[in-house]
Formats: sequence, structure tokens, C-alpha cells
Amino acid sequence: MYELLRGLEMHRITEKEKCDKCFLQRSNALRRRKKAFVRSGSVKRINSVRKNPKKHQEKTKKNILVKEKNEDFRYIQLETKKQKQHKNPLIIPNKSKYATIPWILRWKFRRVHPTCDIRIQQVDGGFFEKFGSLFREQVELTETKEKLEKEKCAKLAAEVIPSKLDYEQEENEILPTVESDSENEGSMVSSDSDLEENKDKNDLIFTALNIEELYAEILYEILHNVGCDVSYEIGQTTLFSYAQDAFKISNDKHNHLLDMAERKEPPELLLNVEIIEAKDLRSKDSNGMSDPFVTLYLNSNNTHRYNTSVKQTTLNPTWEEHFALPIADQNSEDMLILEVWDFDPAETVKEKFGKLFEVKGVKGMRKLVKEIALTATNGQHENELIGIAKIPLKTVPASGMTMWYSLDKKNKVSRQGVLKVRVSFSSEKNNQVAEQELRHMLRIILLHELETSKVAPYWWCGMFSPQANCLLTQHIAQSGLTPTEVSVCQYCVFALIHQSHALSFALFSKLLAGIVKPLQNNQICEDDVKLFWNATKKLLPSCFSIIRKIRKKTSNEKATMKQVTEVLKILNYILQLDLPPNTDLFPLNIYKWKTYTGDGPNCDIFGTINDAVVQGASDWMNYILENNNSRDESDVGRLTYYIQLIQLIKTDIQKSIEYYDKLFQETVNFQYAKSLYIFYQAKVSTLCEPEVTNICKNLKRLTFNGKTSTLMTTEDSKEPLSAGTSLFELYLAVQRFVVLGTGLCPADCDNFHIKNFHQWFHGGVAQWLDIAVYKALQRIEKAVELDKLTQVDNTVKYSSSAVDTLSIFYQVKVFWQQLNWPDVESSYTFIAKIIDDICRCSVFYADQMSAKVDGMGDHENVYEKKFEVTNEWCLAINNIDYVRETLEPFTQDLGMTDIIAKITDLKSPVDAQRCQHTLDNVIANAIDTVRNKIIELLEIVVNKMAPSMKRLLIEGAELCNQDSNSIDRLMMYVDNNLSTLHRELNEENFNRTLSIVWEMLGATLEEIIQCNLDKRRPPSFFDNLHKTLNLMLGSFKSPNDCSNCDALSRTERLLKINGLETNDLIHEVHLEMARNFAKEKESSYGEISVKVKFEGSAIKVEVMNARNLIAMDSNGSCDSFVRIHVLPEHKFSAIDKPKTKTHNKTQFPLYDEAFVINITHEQKAIKDGLILFSVKDKDLLGYNNQYIGEAFLPFSEIPETNKPLSSLPQVHLQLGRPTSLSSDCIRALEHRQGDKLAKEFLKKYKQRMGS
Amino acid sequence: MRSNHKNTLLKVVILGDGGVGKSCLMNRFVSNQFDEHSFHTIGVEFLNKDIDINGDTYTLQIWDTAGQERFKTLRTPFYRGSDICMLTYAINDKSSFKNLQMWKNEFLYYADIKENNQFPFIVIGNKSDITSEREVSQLELETWCNENGITSSIETSAKNASNVQEAFILAVEHWLRIEKRADKNETVYNDTVDLTKKQGEKSSCCIGSSDEN
Repeated sequence: MYELLRGLEMHRITEKEKCDKCFLQRSNALRRRKKAFVRSGSVKRINSVRKNPKKHQEKTKKNILVKEKNEDFRYIQLETKKQKQHKNPLIIPNKSKYATIPWILRWKFRRVHPTCDIRIQQVDGGFFEKFGSLFREQVELTETKEKLEKEKCAKLAAEVIPSKLDYEQEENEILPTVESDSENEGSMVSSDSDLEENKDKNDLIFTALNIEELYAEILYEILHNVGCDVSYEIGQTTLFSYAQDAFKISNDKHNHLLDMAERKEPPELLLNVEIIEAKDLRSKDSNGMSDPFVTLYLNSNNTHRYNTSVKQTTLNPTWEEHFALPIADQNSEDMLILEVWDFDPAETVKEKFGKLFEVKGVKGMRKLVKEIALTATNGQHENELIGIAKIPLKTVPASGMTMWYSLDKKNKVSRQGVLKVRVSFSSEKNNQVAEQELRHMLRIILLHELETSKVAPYWWCGMFSPQANCLLTQHIAQSGLTPTEVSVCQYCVFALIHQSHALSFALFSKLLAGIVKPLQNNQICEDDVKLFWNATKKLLPSCFSIIRKIRKKTSNEKATMKQVTEVLKILNYILQLDLPPNTDLFPLNIYKWKTYTGDGPNCDIFGTINDAVVQGASDWMNYILENNNSRDESDVGRLTYYIQLIQLIKTDIQKSIEYYDKLFQETVNFQYAKSLYIFYQAKVSTLCEPEVTNICKNLKRLTFNGKTSTLMTTEDSKEPLSAGTSLFELYLAVQRFVVLGTGLCPADCDNFHIKNFHQWFHGGVAQWLDIAVYKALQRIEKAVELDKLTQVDNTVKYSSSAVDTLSIFYQVKVFWQQLNWPDVESSYTFIAKIIDDICRCSVFYADQMSAKVDGMGDHENVYEKKFEVTNEWCLAINNIDYVRETLEPFTQDLGMTDIIAKITDLKSPVDAQRCQHTLDNVIANAIDTVRNKIIELLEIVVNKMAPSMKRLLIEGAELCNQDSNSIDRLMMYVDNNLSTLHRELNEENFNRTLSIVWEMLGATLEEIIQCNLDKRRPPSFFDNLHKTLNLMLGSFKSPNDCSNCDALSRTERLLKINGLETNDLIHEVHLEMARNFAKEKESSYGEISVKVKFEGSAIKVEVMNARNLIAMDSNGSCDSFVRIHVLPEHKFSAIDKPKTKTHNKTQFPLYDEAFVINITHEQKAIKDGLILFSVKDKDLLGYNNQYIGEAFLPFSEIPETNKPLSSLPQVHLQLGRPTSLSSDCIRALEHRQGDKLAKEFLKKYKQRMGS
Repeated sequence: MRSNHKNTLLKVVILGDGGVGKSCLMNRFVSNQFDEHSFHTIGVEFLNKDIDINGDTYTLQIWDTAGQERFKTLRTPFYRGSDICMLTYAINDKSSFKNLQMWKNEFLYYADIKENNQFPFIVIGNKSDITSEREVSQLELETWCNENGITSSIETSAKNASNVQEAFILAVEHWLRIEKRADKNETVYNDTVDLTKKQGEKSSCCIGSSDEN
């Protein structure tokens, strides 16, 4: 033994460098045994080894943590590493597809998604990447794009100068020919309104007034211009020529008409004066107030005075009174005089005194006193002048003016107050005629203006040339038309002209602002109201046309916005008005697109707005559908087409939100974007649903058998899902569209048909999952095939195929997360399916992996066949374990918890529980299955080690006495292999391996024992095996491994027994018997009572009696005696075996005999010594004594005392007989056929068993 | 969950009309429970159960499907890779019996099985406890099975627990027969199990923690 260990230890020291990471346990065991051999150095090393496993574990843990924290990152890291490894060229993701994306994005894209190992992905054309990360990237890209666009829109909406170039470019790509459409539109509107216009023209002709008369009137007005502002700036001649141009009058005619006009008497002009109010008048009365009134007259005619009413006791009177003063001579330097007076009523002195109490201040008192004095002296009263204002008529413009004038008083410097007056000219013309004249004039002049100045459509907003302006102002002034009347006239004329030449909508909204109030207050005469509504009717189609053509491309977005704003303002004004009865505001022949319902006159502006909006969207969409019709009739082509379409629609809605929605809501309280969305969602639904359902249904079912994926070639598998990517891109597009809707109209979105869009795709998803499994299996196979079984890098203990496999899982997960499947029930089922599939892939991977490493590490040469555990084996196991480890977090990432919570809400907690249960089961099942695969693989490894170990064990047992080194070799072999396993495997798997090793060792040894017992190997053979086993157990078995290996412990016992010398083996039998007998409570053979003690080096025994002895003789009794043996016999060979006398014919003999057995101290110290009381039945002849029974008393139970035996208690021992011939010890003895001792013992043993 | 990794794994799919008692059958078999008022199954349910036949242990991975039509797209993906298919009807529901054909076809289509006479189908007539309302006779069952080349059929009652164990045993035995035949015909590599490779009970080893000194 010593030699053996010594040799081992020597070997260990020399081999130290090699097996740096030898086992703590083994080293410990060795150290304990052979402290002398262990140098301090090796202790240190052992300690460091002790620390190492923990470190390793932590490291792995960390890795996993990092990995879980940031999968993307991990993905990048791994992929880049692999790139380096394989030195493969980068795949640049489909360049053309991303050509429109700014380079930064593209660059980013590439970095985020570094191209993976080209070879694996090529297996299936990047199937998983397409659906996983590429898919996501694309989504992100679209989102970024959208965001950019949104920002752009926002910018534009904020009226910052937009960076329109790119925007338009983009738009142009999409809508290349919208421009042409706009012309079409223009003609359509005009044709719509042609009828109306013609009627108007006729109207014009039939009116009594002909153009010449009007022209003459204008000439006359030019001759008699009024106001300060005209004649000085624009000469009469200019005006004449302008009018002649505008009215297209020949020179002769002009001269003739001018002559006529000159001959006509100058017009009876009136000066209209409105005394509006005064402020801060000086007080004239004793009470600190005045009672002001105004007197007004023309300087040239100062006898003709006009007075206002008197406003009592105020310094800030308001009159608002109108006066018309005839002007005699327009060209004179005439002046309007305004005098403000304090009215003094006729009062007596007494009355004045009565006011004493109203007097304010000293000044007031003085005034009163003065007044009283005055009244008292001359008995009369006098109005007092407050102040005078003078207005030269030539300062008054033709269009009139409103001014504050300060009041002066002769020889007074201080201010007397201010007076507000409106002054204008007018003539005594018939209002109706004047209005009509004005309308015609406006029309002719405007047409002339438009013709000469060539203003673009929608641009003219009321700016006449100075000449035209002058003519019109003169007419208005000389006809005395009110601003409202003028506004109505303008509105009507402009609306009419608008039909043939579009004018700015701002013009109308400005006019309407002035008209609405008077209309509401019925301040406009009936005829004008009628005219107004007629004009409105003409104006509205173009308004709605603007709304309908809101998408029309213009060079200036801002202008469009402005236009829409004005249109909406117009609509809002009209909304505020009550439509007169029997007015059909929306004649059907013009509003063909209107969804007219009901019988009555259709005057629902709101509904019309909605119709216009929807019609606009519809026109736009039809236009797109017609012009962008997909040339590609394949599934992919059609799907791409729909994706683009939805993209466009989304952009449109997005734009409508950014630009117009607020405008519509604020101006006319109309939810523009929502209305659009409702229209679009229905449209998208009807377009896409049948198509998608159909494509999903026709997705080619994959025909494959999971077990033989190798038989499939890549070619036939490409087709079924070529439409897949586009299909799910469409899914995502629709999904985002729906999300948009949820935000836009949260109240209604539940009713939208599109809400259940996912159902269209249902079959597609199921199909995809089905195909994905196959693809995954295929890819895993390829990954395993390409795996070089080297660590991915130094920090991890798995190789490329594990990474590849996980990236497949990762992609599946990303795909699922992207889907964000809205329906709970199917989500749950899909998750179950995904988990089950992942499990299947994992198992498949495990199988592939073990198939790959099978055969590795086998060495064969002429002498032996040997198996070495290689790193490849360990990596394979680690790979599988790595995949297994990720299963659980993977399933968590699928969003199970969320789904279960939703089922609880939607269905019931019971249902949720069942679903949860199922998912848990599926996961547990998956993990379990993979774990079992690992165990299987570990078993394969260990079983591969078995033959070598077996051979070495046998060799060692046979040859150890001849100084063989086979035990060393065995230890080395096991050590090497276990070292590799320990270094490479994680703790869990290593412990599993150890368990399997012991199991295998137990089985192997048992086999060896059985086989060699038959060969009658000497006990030393087994003893050697036993020693070897103990050595191995001591060296390799971890003390904290508490799992019990029954096979091993049994084998160990067998070895121990068979390794014993026969004497020891016999004693072992006795010990076993003693143990068995002690367990018996009652015996059928009887009982004996004894007293036994040690005294010095002697055993003192007193055999007292026996009871209930079994009857041995035919007479039903027995003749018994007791013989005392001290065992083991070979150690007490010189000792007496005393016996009692025979007591005849009694089953209750009283022996009462004492014996002293002298033994040596050494013998006394024998630990497992036994005293055997053998009760026998004396045979008549004395030759063939029969055994009645036996009892054992172990030395350990015998007291050491000086007390006399009589004082000791009796010991009652049950008698027994050996029962078993099948115990291991007996069997071992039976195998020793050549051993006389064994043979004799067995013979006796059988006698002792009795008959 | 599964005690022994050397067990043969068998994927079992239970099909049949809604309400014939598929879930009850499975629950009776796996946990020996019966719920009179059980709900409709949502999509699929999954349970594991070990079963001993002729001294060998088989782990059945049972997928219980939802019979309602609206779950069709949800359940069909689970058919692929099945080892055993249980076609279930209720003896008091003629239409569920008539639909067996549909179920069989659906299964064959989605499980992607070529030679259907090679596949272990078993027909189960559930609710045998309510014989008073019987609409499908044993004879009809046999006739149908014969016509469809199905050799295994049994009437069960999940409520009384009658024949439930037997039904599953029958199914596995059927599978075994077909498997043996297949093995004889051609030596197909079977990736699920290798029965012959190792026997001997599992015992994770190791002797206590006694150190020899």
C-alpha cells in the first residue's frame, strides 16, 4: 500500500505541470495520507485550484447576465467575432433597397446589424434575418423616415421656410402626374358654373342700364370729383383714358359722351356729417359739468345752421347724429364749422340760488355768483361757447373720413376738449341704381384690371390700380353708398368673376367679415340678401373644390395653407348665417360627388365639407391606384404595392394632421384627420383583406418530415415564403396604420373594420411558424456541420453552432415581438407553438451535436483502443447546455406573462391558469428534454471511457504484485479525462458526469467481480481492486456529493468481502449472524440467560439457564448443553472452548455453571470479537450432536468490572440459526472451492442451519 | 418532471368536435380528475404523462386541441411531428362521429403524413356512461374503422374513468406494432429514441461522503 501510494505521489509531482488543475478532492485525500510528500508549493496550488471553479462559475454567470441584458449587443459581439474568425466578406444589405435612405442611416444599419456569417444564412437565404432583425430594422427605418417627414411637416406648419426640395422630390416620386390633374380640375369647375354665369350675363344685358350710360355717368363723376385726394395725384386725363380702356369705348364715342357729361349740370352734392362724440369738454356750469350741444354750418352759408340735441350734465357727450349739408360750390375754399355750446336754460335768480347745493369748488361758486349777478342785472340768460372746430372741405377725401378735432376758443390757450366727427360726400342718387352701377363698374373694371395685369388665379385680393380705385371711390362717394352696401356689391361681383377667374379667397373672407353682422341683424335690404346668397352659391363650389384638391401640388405649401385657411373662414362665416328658406345651396348638378340624402333642400354645409374631404381623398386614392398600378402581378409585387399604398395613405393622414386638422377643427369645428381616417381604413380594409387572406391561404404548405430535413434541398424551400417578408411588412404597415387610428379617434377605433386586420394574416403566421421550424432545423444542421468546435472566444466555453442556433431563436423572438399580435387567444397558442418548436430545434441540435462528436477522441493502435475526452466533446456538451440555459429566458421574452394576464381579464382566472399551466408544461418539457439529451451525451462519454478503465482495473488487480504501473495509468487516465471535463464543463454537468462515472465504475467492477470469481481469483485480486476503488473514491469523489450510488456501495462491499482471507471471511459471516440475531425479538429456538464480564485478561462467563428450548428429540424434549466459543477462531486458536453439562429431557435447563477463559490483552483488544453460545442437543451416541440454536455476544457489550458476576444483571439472548446461503459472504466462501477451511466451514454452517 | 431520460417520448394529439370531452379525457388520464363543468379549451393544452407498457416506460406528450372551428388555424400547426392521433367523438352525438372523417383528413393534411395506413390512429368513443342517449352503436364504430383501415378503437368514459388508461395503452401498443413493422421493413434511423441501446435503471450515483481515513 505504501509503495503504491508513494509511486502515485511521485508520479503526481512529476506530472504536476501537466495536470495543473488536478482535483482538490484527490489532492486532499493524498495529502491527508501522505503529508510528508506534499510540499508547501503544491498546497498553494491546490488552494488556487480550490478557488478556481468558483471564479469560473462567476465568469460564466457574468457572461450570461451581459448576454441577457443586451441581446443586440451580444449579437453584435458574437457576430463580429465570427466574422473575424471566418474572414468572410461583408454582405452589404441589398443596396438598391436602401438607396433612398440617408447614408447615416445606412451606415448605422450596417453597424447595428453586422452581417452574419455568410455561410449559415445562405442555407436559407437569410430566412430568419429577414423576419427578425432585418424586419425590425426596416420598421425602424420607416419610423425614422416618418419621423423626419413629420418634423418636416411640423416645420412647414410652423411657417418656417421649409426645406422643400427633398420633400417635393419625394412627393413627386409618388405622385408624378398630379399636376396635370389640376388643369383638369379647373376646367371641370368652370364647366360646372358655366350655366350660372351665362344666366348672369343675360341678366346684365337685360338691365336697363347700358354700358354707354354707365360710362357717361363715370365721365360725369370724373368731371365732378370730390374730396381732397383725387385730382391732385391723378389727373383727369389719366382717369379718362383709363375709363376708356376699361370700357373699351372708341375715341369718338368718348368725346361725344364727355361732351354730354360736361354739359350736364354739376351734381347736387351733399356733405354728410356725423357728430359722433366729444371728450374732455371744459365745464361751463357751476356744478362742474356742461350741457353741451353742437352747432354746425358751412362757412359759405353761415345762416343755415344745424344743431344737435343737448346732452345734459356731461363733459363726454355722445351724439351719433347725422346731418347732410348741401354743398354749393365744390371747388371753393369752403369750411365746415363745428361749434360746441353749453346750453343754459332760462332760470330765475331764485332757481339759480336753488343750485347752491350743487356747487362744486370755489370756481363753481364764483361762476354761480356771476350767473346770479348776470341774471339779476339783465334778467336774461345766454348759452356759452365751449369751443370751435373748423374743417376745410378740401381736406376731406372722397371716401370720407372720421377724425377727432380739438376745440378752440378765441383768446384761450387751454384745450377746450375734442370732438369726433365723420365727414363724407354723397349725392342724392337712388341707392338701388347706385348699387347696380357700382356692380357693373366693378365687374368691368375688375375684368379690365385682370386682363391688363395678368394676375395668377387665386391671387387677386382686392388691390385695384390707383385709377380704378379712384373711379370706384368717386362713384361710391358721389352715390353715397354705405360700406355694407359696397361690401355686398363687391362680394357679388367678385363671386361672379371668381367663376371664370379665380380670385383670392382672402378677399371673400374679408368681405364676409363685414357683411355677416349686418346680415344677422337684418340690416341689409331683401334684394341684397338675395344677391348675397346667389353669390355664395357661386362661390362655394370653388371653396369645396379647394378642400377636395387639398393634395394638389402647388409650388408654395404656405400659400396652399393660407388658401385653405381662407376657405375655411368663408365656410365658417356662412355657417353662422341662417339660410333663407327655399334656397338650394348645393344644387345636385354641381355637387355630383355629394352623398345627398333626404328630400329637402340640401344645405348641410357640414355634411358637404365631410363629403368634400372624403371625395378628395377618394379622388386622390383612385388616382394613385390608377397611375401606380403594380406591374408586378406576383404575390410579392402586389404586397409591395399595398405596402406602398398604405405608406402613402399614412403619409397623407400624417400630413393632414400636421397641416390641416387643427385648421379645420379651429375654424369650422370639423375633425378633418379623423374623417379622412375613417374613409381610408374602410378603403384599406376592402383592398387588402381579400388579397391578404388569399395569399395566406395559398402559401405553399411545406412538405417535410422533421426527421429527414437533410433530404430537402434549398431550392424547393425558397419559394413558399418568398411572399412572406412582404406579407409581414404589410402586416406591420397595417399595424402602424391601426395604431395611428387609435390615436386619432380613440372613441371610434373599436368599430373600425380594420381593427381586426390581424385575422387576415392569421393563416400566414401559422404557416410561417410551421416553415420556420423546418428552416431552423436545416440551419442548425448546417451550423453544426460548419462548427469547428473551437471556442467562440476565450471568455466563453461554447462554439459557433451554439451561437448560430441561438441567433435563430433570437430571430424568431424578434419576429414574434415585431408581430405584436393583438389577439390574446391566438397569441397564447402561438407562444405554445413557438416554445414547442424551439424545444424541437434544441433537441435536434443536441442530436446533431452528439452525432458530430461521436467518434472523436477514439484512438486506436496495435496495442490498444483508447478513448480520450477531448475539448470537442466538452464543447458539444457545453453548446447544448448553453442552448438549454437560454430556453427559459427566451420563453419569458415572448411576453407570456402579459398574455396570461390578458386572458385573466378576457376570459377567467381559471382559463388563464390552465393556459399558464400548459405553457409551463411545454417549457418544462422542453428544458427537460434537452437536459436529458445532455445526460445522454454525458453517458456516451463515460461509457466510452469504460473499456479503458476496465482493462486497466483488471491489469492492475492481476499484476500489482509485480510492480505494475497500471494503477498509475488508470489514475492518470481518469485524471486526465476528468480534468478536461472539469476544466471545460460547468459545475452542474461535471457533477452529473461524476455521478455517471461512479455508476459506470460500479457496473464495471461488478462485472469484473462476477467474471473473476468464476475464474477463482485469489482474495488478493479483489483486495487490490478494492484498494484501487477506495483510492479512486478518495481522490475523485467530491465530499459534497450526497447522492447515493447503491450500485457502487454494493460493489465496494463485494470487493471487500472477496478480498478477505478465508478466516476473516468466516468471522464476517459470524458478525453478520450476530447482527441478524440481535434484531430478533422472539425466537422459536428458545432463549438463554448468561452473565459475562471482563476481568483483567480473563473473560468470566456464567451460563445461567435456557428457556423454551425447541424440542429436538422424539420425546418432545431435549438434552441440551452449551458450548462457549470465542471468535474469530483463528485469533483465539489456543483458547478453550468450555461447555456445560448436559441437562437431559428438559426444555428449561438450569445450567448455573461459571467459566473463566484466559485471554491475552491483545486478544481482549480485538474490536469485533464475539462470544458464541452454541446450544446443542446431546446425541445419545455423542457423535452427532444437533444444533438447537446459537447466540452471540459482542465484546463491545461485555462490561469490564471487578464486581462479582453474581451482582451483574442477567443477559437474555435469543437463540437463532443461520438462515441464508445466499449472502455475499457465503457466496464468496462457496467460490473458494479449493480452500479447505472454507469448505469445512460451509459444511458446518449448513449443519448449523438445521434440518 | 420526467423521471427517466431513457423513456420513449411520444407526441399524442387528441382531436374531435368541441364538447366530446377531449380535455376531460386527458385530465382523467393525466391527473385522474374530472370536471363536470370544464370550459372550452383555448387553442391547445399540453400535459405530460408516463405510462408503463410491458416493462418499458413511455412519456406521452399530450396535445389537447380545441375542437371549435374558430380555433382551426390555431390547432393545426401542432399536428406536425405527432406519433399518435386520437380521434374522439361522443357516443351520444352522431354528428361528432360523422366528423371523424373530417378530423382524420385534417390531421393527415396538416401533419403531412404520406401513408395514412401506417399511422397509429385510435378512435375513441367518449361518454360511454350515458348509454341511454347513445346515437352511435359499436357496430357503426367498427364499420367506420374498418372502412378507414383503423384497427384500434375503444369506448371510454372520462367521467367514470372507464377505459381511459386502456385507451392510451391501446394507442401506444398500436404505435409499437407499427414501429416494429417499420423497423423490420427498413432500418430507419429513429431520432427520438434508441430502445436497445441501454437498459438498467437510472441511478445517479455516489457513495455517501465517507472518507477512508
